[in-house]
Amino acid sequence: MADASHDLSKTKKSYAAVGIALLVFTVVTVTIGLAPIFDMGPPGPDAMDFVLGLSVAAVKASLVALIFMHLNHEKGLIYKILLFTFLFFLGLMILTIFADTDPILEQFETLKTTRGWLMDKPR
Amino acid sequence: MEIPYEVTPRRDTGLYNAKLGVWLFLASEVMLFGGLFSAYVFLRMGVQPGVDNPWPWGVSVHKNFVWLGAINTIVLIASSVGVVFAWVALKERNWRRYQIYMYFVVACAVIFMCIKSVEYNSKLTKHHGIKLVDNSVMEGVIKDKTDQVRFSGDKLTFSLQGAVPAVLSDFTDESFPAFKVTEGPEELVGNEIKSASEFKSWFAKGRRLAFEKLTEERKRYRGELASGKGNPTPVSVSSSVTLVSSAPFAVSGNPRKLIGHNETTMNYRDAVRVEGKLVSDDVMFEVHEVDLQLVVPTKQPESIVWSVINDKEAKKHFFDLKEKKYNELIAYYEKHGGVVPEAQLRGRYLNVQYVHVAAEGHGEEHGEAKHGEVHASEPKESAGGGESEGHHGPSRVIQVPRDQIKFMSNHGPRYGTYYAIYFTMTALHGLHVVGGALVLLFFAVFGKKLYLKNPEHLANRVEVGGLFWHFVDLIWIFLFPIMYLL
Repeated sequence: MADASHDLSKTKKSYAAVGIALLVFTVVTVTIGLAPIFDMGPPGPDAMDFVLGLSVAAVKASLVALIFMHLNHEKGLIYKILLFTFLFFLGLMILTIFADTDPILEQFETLKTTRGWLMDKPR
Repeated sequence: MEIPYEVTPRRDTGLYNAKLGVWLFLASEVMLFGGLFSAYVFLRMGVQPGVDNPWPWGVSVHKNFVWLGAINTIVLIASSVGVVFAWVALKERNWRRYQIYMYFVVACAVIFMCIKSVEYNSKLTKHHGIKLVDNSVMEGVIKDKTDQVRFSGDKLTFSLQGAVPAVLSDFTDESFPAFKVTEGPEELVGNEIKSASEFKSWFAKGRRLAFEKLTEERKRYRGELASGKGNPTPVSVSSSVTLVSSAPFAVSGNPRKLIGHNETTMNYRDAVRVEGKLVSDDVMFEVHEVDLQLVVPTKQPESIVWSVINDKEAKKHFFDLKEKKYNELIAYYEKHGGVVPEAQLRGRYLNVQYVHVAAEGHGEEHGEAKHGEVHASEPKESAGGGESEGHHGPSRVIQVPRDQIKFMSNHGPRYGTYYAIYFTMTALHGLHVVGGALVLLFFAVFGKKLYLKNPEHLANRVEVGGLFWHFVDLIWIFLFPIMYLL
């Protein structure tokens, strides 16, 4: 029982730490969004700004998922479910490559046009 | 009835059932939001610079909203921490602390929704855009509902069919105009109508009358047809009525309900014609920024927007800012190589600038001294005036002739794809917040009985409710940057 309560106080500390980290990352997100110095690439939004902004969001999201949602120590079945979720989600995101192609004019050049999807290319 | 595996884990899954259930549910939720995130990417990448309605990126447009979004992020994070602490409190068998944490979480949810409603309200009622016929766009505020056509009518003509005429809700006089029926079915001619409710009952009566006449006519037609006397007279019933008012009445024609109007008539979509005299159909508009993304750069100096704004200083300011930013772009590309891409030249960075219309000239009531005073007292009042160029304070209200307007709207979902996906995703997220908060509130208020019976069971319920709550937080973590910052 003593051990359990010790565990709980440790858990509480980690929850508080994650909470503070999330607040800090929120400040970071806003700073990245507002401060011109974090405007990667040419002025205005471009791929690098998205990579930066979404990376911070991804770090925050994984903190929430791992610590608050207990995914750092969970039973195997849940990871199996989430594997499928992840694959479907990945599929949905991969679909968006088609946003950058013209299905009529470029159907044989998909690779050529999507190659630069992380770079800033003239349209 | 005892439901198994609510507290003890099942041997094959290693989980108590509710947890497995909520994870399956969250998996489907990921699909739901994943599809919408995917749609966001499609909509955003599908915007052709210079062709489609532009995507308002970044803080320049949402300056006032970034802080609301950031506060909301912090509120949701705080509530997530609250949920896990409530769960720990249950594990420690501390009911009082559990309840406090849970109420804190629900309070956070309420604050979140309040801030959200402030934001929605601001977008829907305090931010407007007008697209002129040459596709130049002015962002700002439409003053005093002047998007409506102000008309002084004395005669209404409509048909006694369908719904009660929409014009009824557009009368702006305090007292209902006194109407007299001058033309129409003879039973109705001479009727007098003195109030809105009287109008409605009179309309229902007239509609019934017209319908009875039509039935009669049909009967007559079938009779003639059956008697076989060659061509029967066609069915013809006029349900048209004309109402004349003793004194002119004021109508504010909602443009969404109108087909068109001119100096003497106003035609509604439900086939009501109002005759009288046009008072004014100019839109009074306070300009905050001018958006020339849809105008070819070489045509921009001659754009209609400048003749509408009619302020040389404002125009000069726009092109000065544009040139300054253009030089920045050139400097960047000289340093890093390459030429400025077309998308950059046509995009928001160069072609959307703050514009401040000075008070001199037409606006007599906004004298120069008054302007200075306003400037000093409330420098941040103007929604767009966040730029560091020093042009703060409200712009002078300008008069936009209606025949120059192609489209005008508030920043609601109809204003563009950004606003459509913004409202879709944030509203769906908001519904999740409400749903999650209700569940957690239920556990906080009605949990005592279960707590006394089996505290571990309640802890599991809170954990499962918390999982959903964290998921809602997680979605917001992504929504905040993509909707407000990037």
